Amino acid sequence: MRVPFSWLKQYVPELESPEVLEERLAGLGFETDRMERLFRIPQGVVFARVLEAHPIPGTRLKRLVLEAEGVVEVVSGAENARKGIGVALALPGTELPGLGQKVGERVIQGVRSFGMALSPKELGVGEYGGGLLELPEDALPPGTPLAEAWPEEVVLDLEVTPNRPDALGLLGLARDLHALGYALVEPEAALRAEALPLPFALRVEDPEGAPHFTLAYAFGLKVGPSPLWMQRALFAAGMRPISNVVDVTNYVMLERAQPMHAFDLRFLGEGILVRRARPGERLRTLDGVERTLSPEDLVIAGWRGEESFPLGLAGVMGGAESEVREDTEAIALEVACFDPVSIRKTARRHGLRTEASHRFERGVDPLGQLPAQRRALSLLQALAGARVAQEILEEGRPKPPEPIPFRPHYANRLLGTAYPEAEQVAILKRLGCRVEGEGPAYWVTPPSHRLDLRLEEDLVEEVARIQGYETIPLDLPAFFPAPDNRGVEGPYRRERALKELLAGLGFQEVYTYSFADPQEAPLFRLPPYPLRLQNPLAPEKAALRTHLFPGLVRVLKENLDLDRPERALLFEVGRVYGVEGDRVAERTHLAGLLFGEGVGLPWEKEALGGFFLLKGHLEALLARLGLSLEVEAHPYPFLHPGVSGRVRVGGEERGFLGELHPEIARALELPRVWLFELRLPLPEAPFRFQDPSRYPPAFRDLAVVVPEATPYGEVERLLREAAGPHLESLELFDLYQGPPLKPGEKSLAFHLRFRHPERTLRDEEVEAAMAQVVAALKARGFGLRE
Amino acid sequence: MEALEQEALKAIREAQDLEALKALRARYLGRKGLLTQEMKALAALPLEERRARGQALNALKEALEKALEEREKELEKEALEKALEGERLDVSLPGARLFAGGLHPITLMERELVEIFRALGYQAVEGPEVESEFFNFDALNIPEHHPARDMWDTFWLAGEGYGLEGPLGEEVRGRLLLRTHTSPMQVRYMVAHTPPFRILAPGRVFRFEQTDATHEAVFHQLEGLVVGEGITMAHLKGAIYELAQALFGPSSKVRFQPVYFPFVEPGAQFALWWPEGGKWLELGGAGMVHPKVFQAVDAYRERLGLPPAYRGVTGFAFGLGVERLAMLRYGVPDIRYFFGGRLKVLEQFKGVL
Repeated sequence: MRVPFSWLKQYVPELESPEVLEERLAGLGFETDRMERLFRIPQGVVFARVLEAHPIPGTRLKRLVLEAEGVVEVVSGAENARKGIGVALALPGTELPGLGQKVGERVIQGVRSFGMALSPKELGVGEYGGGLLELPEDALPPGTPLAEAWPEEVVLDLEVTPNRPDALGLLGLARDLHALGYALVEPEAALRAEALPLPFALRVEDPEGAPHFTLAYAFGLKVGPSPLWMQRALFAAGMRPISNVVDVTNYVMLERAQPMHAFDLRFLGEGILVRRARPGERLRTLDGVERTLSPEDLVIAGWRGEESFPLGLAGVMGGAESEVREDTEAIALEVACFDPVSIRKTARRHGLRTEASHRFERGVDPLGQLPAQRRALSLLQALAGARVAQEILEEGRPKPPEPIPFRPHYANRLLGTAYPEAEQVAILKRLGCRVEGEGPAYWVTPPSHRLDLRLEEDLVEEVARIQGYETIPLDLPAFFPAPDNRGVEGPYRRERALKELLAGLGFQEVYTYSFADPQEAPLFRLPPYPLRLQNPLAPEKAALRTHLFPGLVRVLKENLDLDRPERALLFEVGRVYGVEGDRVAERTHLAGLLFGEGVGLPWEKEALGGFFLLKGHLEALLARLGLSLEVEAHPYPFLHPGVSGRVRVGGEERGFLGELHPEIARALELPRVWLFELRLPLPEAPFRFQDPSRYPPAFRDLAVVVPEATPYGEVERLLREAAGPHLESLELFDLYQGPPLKPGEKSLAFHLRFRHPERTLRDEEVEAAMAQVVAALKARGFGLRE
Repeated sequence: MEALEQEALKAIREAQDLEALKALRARYLGRKGLLTQEMKALAALPLEERRARGQALNALKEALEKALEEREKELEKEALEKALEGERLDVSLPGARLFAGGLHPITLMERELVEIFRALGYQAVEGPEVESEFFNFDALNIPEHHPARDMWDTFWLAGEGYGLEGPLGEEVRGRLLLRTHTSPMQVRYMVAHTPPFRILAPGRVFRFEQTDATHEAVFHQLEGLVVGEGITMAHLKGAIYELAQALFGPSSKVRFQPVYFPFVEPGAQFALWWPEGGKWLELGGAGMVHPKVFQAVDAYRERLGLPPAYRGVTGFAFGLGVERLAMLRYGVPDIRYFFGGRLKVLEQFKGVL
């Protein structure tokens, strides 16, 4: 919402400066996005009357005879250059900001052009460059420097939140400022109306769509350019002046946040009918677009007999046919209140967001239609010489606001303040509320333009807003939480602790987007991503990820392309999104990635890397959580078929560990990459302190010969199961293949450590345990190596 | 005897290694050593002479033993020094190349914020990122077709076939979206818990908007919610004041201005005074929980067979953008760096403990 300072000052004459205004408005809840200084009319631009306009044959140009200080001639290509209007003339030598050079005196098509007649854009007052700035021919004495009559302006570009549609009119802001203590000057609406029969009727077929509809009659209009003050105001507000009649409707809308529309009486037929559009009905709107309407659209139609024809999309945009033109002499002026939801739907359906729809979908003052009519009619009378009929047609009963119970002590209780009761009541009154009652409880009826005031809390905010939030003290609450809130932080804390551990182990955390490229699923050998976005930012962000590892792989790739790191150890903890049954299943995953040189001395060739380094990190992580993991060979399509393991934690499947499939690595031009991805949260290890044994351990070594293909895990499991309850630990210390073993065999050598918690183990006991181990190995067909 | 002493002591002093010293010990003090022989010979001497000579021999023996011991220590020390010298390392060489990990700056910023509020008794909880229209909008007093919806540009999920898990594991139906703010956690938490409480809900949120140096479609928020009897807007201001003080020190302060969020009334936006930068930082929105939100929560609880828990209580909520604060705190110029994954960016935060 653009707020020209001088315009607002008409209603709030005590306003000090734009800077003070900005501060006051911020305190009231209206933030200024930026402040703009407008209208630096260049020296050398004067007002001129167009005395004659002659087409230059064979061109689209015109020779204009202008009265400025003297009579001069200029050439103009503007279509609206015509006799009887006033224009802005840049005399030779004038520097125009957008032109880059001085205006010269040139001969064009044989005519000596003494300067240049300017468009609003050339003058620097507006965006429009398609025609001349048009002023009434008597706007100023010819030759007057325009800068004198067109002072600079400061415009505040205000953010108006959707709850304050009233503030989409300057008067709404003025009323808020009034509540702060500024005097308020309501604009005049002096009207000489005549008792005349109306040449049209009004029928509202859809009172839900249009709960209040008024239609006034003005005739004898002289359509022409608006006076300079109004054009200046509209330009400052960011609108383009069209003609006095159209400008009045826009001006009153900007003043009162009440859109209105003038229909040329010649196109109405017998009157106005407000109805739903018929399926397939067509209308060419003011913007020149031919639109197909739907029965959800509310239209303003004209009618003749049984036939009715749409004239405009109610509350959104008028039709092209019935718009006011230069030769319009009589109008029907529509000022209505429409159903916000219906307007919003229509505006969306047609992709039309207009000043009118913006206000209607937020809601207009339900009692504001007749005052707006009177204000507009009085301006039409003053500016366009209109004659006005006394009778204004009205359909529907506007709903006045309901009283709200209000307790000043509740306001203080909610705010933590001690505002005196009288002060609170005074504030509400200054805001235009009717306050009834003696206290401590009151009935407060808000003014009809404050649609946002419905509840007691809304009134509390009004009190605080006008007092200023800075008057609310600082305090801290003290209480014991209800018991069911105890410990709710556990999951969050565990996840955070996990991240800290990973970072401590050497992993660098990265964040990747939750979006995934649907085309990429086959590349990563994943099933199609089940969840898609209806409105993705880009096709490659159209799905939701089901795994984290593709993101980590992508991060690695981008880093390699840009910075060529020699190695990386990365992790991400994040959400993935899948489907289980007919439910969305959102899970938290942890993924890790290792690439490049492993751990070792920089000057020595041998370094520890690859699968077992990553697995070691994972083991250390889990050990730190009091957990252990088992990895068993399992083919994952995206992993190297020979380096692909299923990870179990606490016996439960949790995810995978392995090497990225070489085909994927090749496709992405990546080196070898190792990955894991686990589903969180990890189980919590039950913890109970155990007093360590004080008795000496017994050590035995054992080398087991097994077929090459036998997984280590199987051997370990077998040893542990067979070794009995006193096995304290078991550790692999050698893995050997070669002579004297037979081809296809391998030897696994273990240190076994036995211990009893309460006494020294006897040799026979240890031997017995070892005998069981040996027997179990034999039974399984494994050999022993002496 | 004097000659023997001189000779022996000289030999001991000059012994070059422990082996030589051992030989000297044998030569003089061994079973067949010179001194031993002399001692044995004492028996043949007359008593007087025996005593005198015996004493002299004992003194000599002691002197030699002492000399041997001293030389032995010297030699041992030399040997050790020599051995250690052989083990000398170039300690200026780099160590084994371990990995030094680090946390993401948003994790670090969030951690700092959570710790500030944890000290005030808040607990952090998390909720889903795929959310239902109900929790993200309707329950927060943002009905469909209300212009307030335009305040949140939303990513909608395609298709309407899927349900979602509600706060108590129940099935939630309706249109799905990527949550546009962390505020749905207000509703989810309240449905499943009873007041009074103080919670934080940090998490990832999504806005349908093109990205540039200051806008991301994916970013993080921290939501705070305190509900109980007699909770006031002064308490809200106190909480944010504590945040300002903890983040920016004792010369920081807070500024509250009215603003509209449909789920709070009165509503506010707040700014912290950043002394270092000498400016106000608009950080987020806040306000007193809207009565309609409490009503929506109780209505939902009722549908689940739970008693109403939010009659007669008040509460405040606030939400702030983590990225914005992190950019400022760490001097990061572009919000896209956070999801950029560039290690040259992320690894710089290792020092933030």
